Amino acid sequence: MDGFFNDLAIMAPAVAFNIYFAAASIPLGFVMAVFLALGKASPNPLINALSRGYIYAFRGSPLFIQFFMFYSLALSLNLTVWKPLGISGFVLHPLFVGPLVLVLNTAAYTAEIFYGALRAVPRGAIEAARAYGMSRTQQFRRVVWPNLIRLAWPAYTNEVVFLFHATAIVYFALPVVGPQADLMITAKTLFERDYNAFLHFSVAAIYFLLVSLVVFFLFGLIYQRLMRHLPAQPGLRFAPKWLR
Amino acid sequence: MSEDLAFWAGYITNGKHLTWYASFQFTVYAALLGGALAVVFGLTGATLKNSRFVGFRLIGSTYSSIVRGVPDVLFFLFFPLAFEQGVEWLVSTQVCSVESIAAQTAPWPPCREANWFLGTTEYLLLASVSLGLVYGAFATNVIHGAMRAVPAGQLEAARAYGMSAAQVLWRVHIRQMWVYALPGLSNVWMLIVKATSLLSLLQIADIVLWADRLGAPNFLPTVGLVHDDWRWRYYLVLFVFYILVTWLSERAFEALMRRTGRGILSEVPA
Repeated sequence: MDGFFNDLAIMAPAVAFNIYFAAASIPLGFVMAVFLALGKASPNPLINALSRGYIYAFRGSPLFIQFFMFYSLALSLNLTVWKPLGISGFVLHPLFVGPLVLVLNTAAYTAEIFYGALRAVPRGAIEAARAYGMSRTQQFRRVVWPNLIRLAWPAYTNEVVFLFHATAIVYFALPVVGPQADLMITAKTLFERDYNAFLHFSVAAIYFLLVSLVVFFLFGLIYQRLMRHLPAQPGLRFAPKWLR
Repeated sequence: MSEDLAFWAGYITNGKHLTWYASFQFTVYAALLGGALAVVFGLTGATLKNSRFVGFRLIGSTYSSIVRGVPDVLFFLFFPLAFEQGVEWLVSTQVCSVESIAAQTAPWPPCREANWFLGTTEYLLLASVSLGLVYGAFATNVIHGAMRAVPAGQLEAARAYGMSAAQVLWRVHIRQMWVYALPGLSNVWMLIVKATSLLSLLQIADIVLWADRLGAPNFLPTVGLVHDDWRWRYYLVLFVFYILVTWLSERAFEALMRRTGRGILSEVPA
């Protein structure tokens, strides 16, 4: 039991790295995904093909390979580009490359979710907006977007949790700088010290589960806010109702 | 020009590259075996989850929610290590003497005789099993949903024919379930294919490890620098390889869907 609490304390700073990777890539990925989804729905053949290809490529290949590919690409450009500019320490840092690749990856997955939601927006609502004489931007801001985000939110919540889980492989592909180790690396070093797989990996799993539950809770709150126009579900009762 | 061509033909068929090509088999084996096991675990999990006995139902739902709640890498690393230690502990209860335990300086295994050395084959098997366990949890959910999608009338008809509960399950329920499960299982298969890139974490010399070795700056004392850092080119090849595999799997699942959906689904989604 002592070892358990020890591990909880050791891994508390490590979970901050996983949360950093997720938190740094979610907002940018969200914005990029909106543009990619619109691009995939666009009638312009060039934009359409580009966004389609991008989404297909990044959803069809493993994140692990993407990490290796972009990091080694950045490394090979080091002598010719980053060094002369004097930013190699910044560009090659895992705290920069990690979120960068995660953004590229999650944008593709999120774009697919948003594209599905975009196609599910009721046709009648858009026609009504057009009948009111709204411009294209007005249509999007007032009708399409609110519908889209409500339809996409549950699936987007799942994607955010998957992204958080994906942060577990960041440091298997990128170098660990000094004490900047995330949950998986910490669990692995602890394991290599005393070979207690059950303890260390379970504690890491508990942290992942806890953060996932927090994400589900927070995104559930946002979903409730998005759905506030609908009658609320009756809440749970904790005492029996004796009289009607 | 022709000299260049001859050089490149020689370069990409040298011994190291041939080993790299051969290592693609590990990826394929792990994906196929992992996929088959995922279906087996998924069927087991879904049957447990559908059971009328609370204990079984609890096991099924705990399995699918816990394993899906932690990252796949974590379980992928944990299961082979835990299995190895479990076997070593079992062996140690039989072969270790008090002296050999006292002579052991490392924290694990309990004594030197109990050490179990794992080669590539063993690790590959363990990796496939853990892929099956992880994605079996996803398949459990998919199959559980699909079993509920089977029209109740079909099961009632089967019961009306006098089939027992087991007969209804095996002859009607599970056979009709596949059509509804296929789209979800196709997603699980894509996840498994992508997870095979993690094999190098279990000390298997797979395509990722070889790409890293081949692309690393190559320096020979007699020749000098043969090539500088070419790793991204090799990773680009793997990137394209995985996209191709995804594309092929999509086509295959579409064909399978069209075939199994005959007479059941009026309209097969394109």
